[in-house]
Amino acid sequence: MDKIRVLLIDDEPSFTRMLKLSLERRGRFEVMVENNGAYGLKVAQDFRPDIILLDVIMPDIDGGEIASTIRADRNLKDTPIVFLTAGVSKETTRAKGNVIGGQKYLAKPVTVDEIVRCIETQLKKPGGVAPGSSPVPKS
Amino acid sequence: MDGIGADQKDPRVAASTQTLNGNGRDAEVRSRLDAVWELANDALFAVSLEGIIVAWNRAAERIYGYPAQAIIGKHLSILVPEDRRHELETTITSIARGATIEHFETVRLRSDGVPIDVSLSIAPTRDEKGHVTCALAVARDITAIKQALRQAELSSVKLSEREAMLRRALLALRKSLEETKSAQLQLVQAAKLESIGRLAAGVAHEVKNPLAVILFAIDYLAETVQTPDANMVSALKDARDAVLRADSVIRGLLEFSTATELTVAKEDVNSVLQKALLLVRHALTKSHIFVVEELASDLPPAMLDRNKIEQVFVNLMINAVDAMPSGGTLIIRSRREQLKEPGPDVGYRRSDRFRVGQTVIVIEIEDTGTGIDEAARARLFDPFFTTKPPGRGTGLGLAVCKSIIALHGGTIRIANREGGGGARATVIFQSVRP
Repeated sequence: MDKIRVLLIDDEPSFTRMLKLSLERRGRFEVMVENNGAYGLKVAQDFRPDIILLDVIMPDIDGGEIASTIRADRNLKDTPIVFLTAGVSKETTRAKGNVIGGQKYLAKPVTVDEIVRCIETQLKKPGGVAPGSSPVPKS
Repeated sequence: MDGIGADQKDPRVAASTQTLNGNGRDAEVRSRLDAVWELANDALFAVSLEGIIVAWNRAAERIYGYPAQAIIGKHLSILVPEDRRHELETTITSIARGATIEHFETVRLRSDGVPIDVSLSIAPTRDEKGHVTCALAVARDITAIKQALRQAELSSVKLSEREAMLRRALLALRKSLEETKSAQLQLVQAAKLESIGRLAAGVAHEVKNPLAVILFAIDYLAETVQTPDANMVSALKDARDAVLRADSVIRGLLEFSTATELTVAKEDVNSVLQKALLLVRHALTKSHIFVVEELASDLPPAMLDRNKIEQVFVNLMINAVDAMPSGGTLIIRSRREQLKEPGPDVGYRRSDRFRVGQTVIVIEIEDTGTGIDEAARARLFDPFFTTKPPGRGTGLGLAVCKSIIALHGGTIRIANREGGGGARATVIFQSVRP
């Protein structure tokens, strides 16, 4: 069974390193990390992830802008994006079903279990992608 | 002196003096009396018991405006205003009985019809046999004094009115000063909260990322160490708890930064209370707390941000639970109430938070714990003030509650229950319809 391809875009190297380690240790995930938001789209086009975990606040470009460029890409427009943010409290995200402004959010600090559950939910929902089967052919 | 002699038939001469005989002693007395008669500054006149004026001095001419020739032989009523005619009969009757009237203040008429204030003193004059023959009147013109008195009274009334006006103005000023002070305090508080909010947003981003890394690392270690000893398990648990605690402080701070944004809708306050109760059910069960719900069935709706008010109620309920570590009773009440009297936050002005006559929704969350001591009560709503043991409270819960309720135009008060043994939080909201 193919692994779930996760693209993690976050400017915190320690955060991405630990999350990649924790997810890949579970054996079901293949995690690509990008710490520079400006390269997010390029990496996504090359990696063709099943799901993108995207930091909201980054130094050069914010997560919302990256999400817009990804949504505008015909090969990536259906790829689920989950925002990871340190700027919203857990109560706020939970009260709104972890969705703000139509976008899926997870508030940091978040446990690996919560992230795994979120990925599974996103990939099972209509329009989501079955693990390991990207909607577009991977080049 | 105008040189009128005792033998002259001057009509102004008093009838009484005309009765004196012409011996030397009488002549001297008569001369004196004539001098007094003519020189007196007060009106002197004599009136027969039938009310006919029989003598009239110079001062009387000046004060009443009638020359002696014109008035002698006329009835006294010519001098008396219509509405005082009754005085005539009473006066003449009294004099006929031999009584004297002193300093009787009344109103009389001048020849031109202008009323004048006079002070009348009247005494009877008698013949040799002692019979009363006529009345001798002394009338002092007190018009100027009366006017001055009336003016003084008027001034006094005006002064009293002005004093009352000044008192009202002073009260209004004091109230306005208090309101200004209160508004200033609120502004300072708002500025503080805004600063905390800005700080929180910045700190949150900088702290939550490292917290996330530590949490991942703890979970990673917990999962990867094959045979952890008891100390490691304990150390990892402590580290995890520390991360979650740090996160809760940051979360509390973040509530400040988002407290200013409300999404209001018409809500049933009872259902928000019941949802909050559901959320704390686990804590209630764990602490063996019995719940009493006294929710009014006729509660009008209120414009609320449901999530934020739910957060307020949860905070207040959790505080109540924490105040009853050995169990107790949590009482939740709701009721509609019409405000009948002015009080704190209740007045008649638009600037008052609530107005007398307004219908409001009152929520009470009451515990049977130990209550709150005086010193703590004054600081309950201060950010970072907590009475909970270290590690239990961030000290932001009530500060956030107050801020959220204030944004809804409501109030919150916390006091000990009457008779001791617990505390009561009272929240008041405006209702949508009366």
